Amino acid sequence: MDLELSDDEMALRDNVRTVLGGICPAAVVREAHEGGDPRSAIWSRMVDLGWPALTIPEEHGGLGLGFVEQVLVAEELGRAVVPSPLLATATQFTPAVRELGGSGAGRLLERVAAGQTGTLAVAEGGRWSPAEVVTSARQDGDGWILEGCKEAVVDGATAHQIVVIARGAEGLGAFLVDGSDARAERRSVLDPTTPIADLHFDGVAVPADRVLARPGHDAVEEGIRRCLEEATVAVAAMTVGACRRVFEETVEYTKARVQYDRPIGSFQALKHRMADMYLSVERAAALVYYAALTISEDVPERSIAAAAAKAAAGDCQLLVVADGLQMHGGIGYTWEHGLHFLLKRAKAGDVLFGNGTTHRAAMSSLLGLDQQAVA
Amino acid sequence: MRLRFSDEVEAFRLEFREWLGQNAPSPEERAADPAQGSAHLPGWARAWSRRLFDAGWLVPGWPPERGGRNAGAIETLVYLEELARAEVPRTTNPQGLGIVAPSLFDYGDEAQIRDYAFPVLRGEKAACLGMSEPGAGSDLASLSTRAVLDGDRFVISGQKVWTSGAGYADFCFLFCRTDALLPKHKGISVLLVDMATPGITVRPLPEIIHRERADLNEVFFDGAVVPTSALVGQLNNGWAMANGSLTHERGMVWLRNVQELEDEVARLVAEAPERLARLGAAERAVAADRVAGAYVDAMAGRALGYRGFAKLIRGGSAPEQALMKAFCSEARRRVSQVGIDLSGDLGLDVSPDGHALGSECSWAELYLYSFASTIAAGSSEIQRNIISERVLGLPRG
Repeated sequence: MDLELSDDEMALRDNVRTVLGGICPAAVVREAHEGGDPRSAIWSRMVDLGWPALTIPEEHGGLGLGFVEQVLVAEELGRAVVPSPLLATATQFTPAVRELGGSGAGRLLERVAAGQTGTLAVAEGGRWSPAEVVTSARQDGDGWILEGCKEAVVDGATAHQIVVIARGAEGLGAFLVDGSDARAERRSVLDPTTPIADLHFDGVAVPADRVLARPGHDAVEEGIRRCLEEATVAVAAMTVGACRRVFEETVEYTKARVQYDRPIGSFQALKHRMADMYLSVERAAALVYYAALTISEDVPERSIAAAAAKAAAGDCQLLVVADGLQMHGGIGYTWEHGLHFLLKRAKAGDVLFGNGTTHRAAMSSLLGLDQQAVA
Repeated sequence: MRLRFSDEVEAFRLEFREWLGQNAPSPEERAADPAQGSAHLPGWARAWSRRLFDAGWLVPGWPPERGGRNAGAIETLVYLEELARAEVPRTTNPQGLGIVAPSLFDYGDEAQIRDYAFPVLRGEKAACLGMSEPGAGSDLASLSTRAVLDGDRFVISGQKVWTSGAGYADFCFLFCRTDALLPKHKGISVLLVDMATPGITVRPLPEIIHRERADLNEVFFDGAVVPTSALVGQLNNGWAMANGSLTHERGMVWLRNVQELEDEVARLVAEAPERLARLGAAERAVAADRVAGAYVDAMAGRALGYRGFAKLIRGGSAPEQALMKAFCSEARRRVSQVGIDLSGDLGLDVSPDGHALGSECSWAELYLYSFASTIAAGSSEIQRNIISERVLGLPRG
């Protein structure tokens, strides 16, 4: 197993980092936090560069790259706290369309490559678990009627297209809804650069040609699981990106900050904590890359690897963000210093698509820990 | 990034797997005469070393005359994976094979290689490592065991401690002070000392596992005399050997740490369903969370190890390597604690004679052993110093 970036992967990451340094410098992140809306300008640059098309097959106007490359991009989105529709579009909407959209998927992905944004509406009851879905899908002639509320949809108020997971009499189905057809309730959240909304579907009609997967269709549950795994690992990567940046800034800060006539980074009490921060970042990054590979190569371990990556990203933000801000001292607690933008992005990444406790519980099931032994 | 090695490497794996299947000592053979310590060579272990050596499977990265086949780093890693998979020990004298013999090939003269390195490889002699002292643990360079040059001989006086296998070893790779006036790192030399030399006393140092379990020893040198031909490399150049040989297997020590962590987590996962079923709902949920957390650690250990390894073979620096020892040993302590917690009153059980090893150990015994891992060979605190100073570039205090 080779978990180091290849030359091509490294070049991609460096290129993305350089571009984001230009289109999303610290001032733009601050602007997004202070009421501005730099998202459309950032998005049009991303579309020009082909970023939404990264994993879309070449025959549909994409670049035909894999999930490993997608994860490297997601990590950079976290690192630069980028306000953009890219995460939801490329790592939630696109996988949902690919896994659930059948023969019509290609046409939808072509639009994504051309700049249409999308998202995935799955969460209910505070959880990103298909089992929790109660939003209903009722057949009405050739089409379907959706009733219910999907929670915490990333970019839910602005995405052009939404894949909605809803429950019919015969099981879960996936439906394509135009953003303007859902009643969006924007949430006031910790990280406004990752906007989320609750979406109300008050009898929204979905015509037959916008049903991605009919309720009861064999592969629906499997498809939902697969796209949730991709979305989860991408969010974990974004979280790790933000954490790594906090860690790097903390190391630099403690080298420069002098108290008692010496850099505070020379105190062993801080050095050992920074060694632990480093371990935590590397542990989460290694698991994110491993999970990305298992998804990219579609091996059975992908489910447990995705859960472990998200759990490790959760552990990472808990330790790294808190210790990082603590070691910055008072300056880290000010609005003027930008560290809190990273903190908020990392925390959003921990919560979205299930936190560590949730994913360890999923691992417990996958490992059969809940199977009572037969005496 | 990729999940699998190339077809050529996988063919190498199968070749070794097949050889191993036909040549490895059987579990029964090993159980009938188990190694009593880390320099004890039971009959089967001697024969096994010899078979490995003759077939070029002892140190695959070395040339055939040294028991290898000029294999590359990836092949060597695969070889170690296969040994672990088959649960076959490569040697019962890990210090001899892993540190002493490679150091002698790097620094020793022809006679030392002939009389010490090759016999270690062929399972004819076992070596112990004389490093730590009562006053020189983490700060090894302050060691004070003296070797005084007296004509054509050295006279050795002082004390070593934590010397694994000293009671069984045929000779000691001994770090001692040969010049007290030079700065501490610059007055150290290495001598090859036959353990039968008059003036050497070995006193077993029982471990917290059981008072009769003593792989560690104190070794006293009271005017022990060795010829000047015992000097390895140049006089006062011993510190260069303190960090081990530069053979590329150094980049693979983590594999064993990860394997042990994985084995213990696999055992935890295997035992958990039955144990969890006995608990009330609230306790069961918390305990299951901790088992899953241990599983995350095991997966992370392997992923971190392979990530560092991939960087190393591309010629880069691999800071992951510095992380692995602290991470795996601390994770194993956490695993043993979860194992004890899941076991209820059985968590207190230990074997009556203290002779349980590896998978025979109870969780309580693994908990006790975990302290050896976090302290020996560079404590967790030393690892954090290394990471913070050499990897993160933080200033020395």
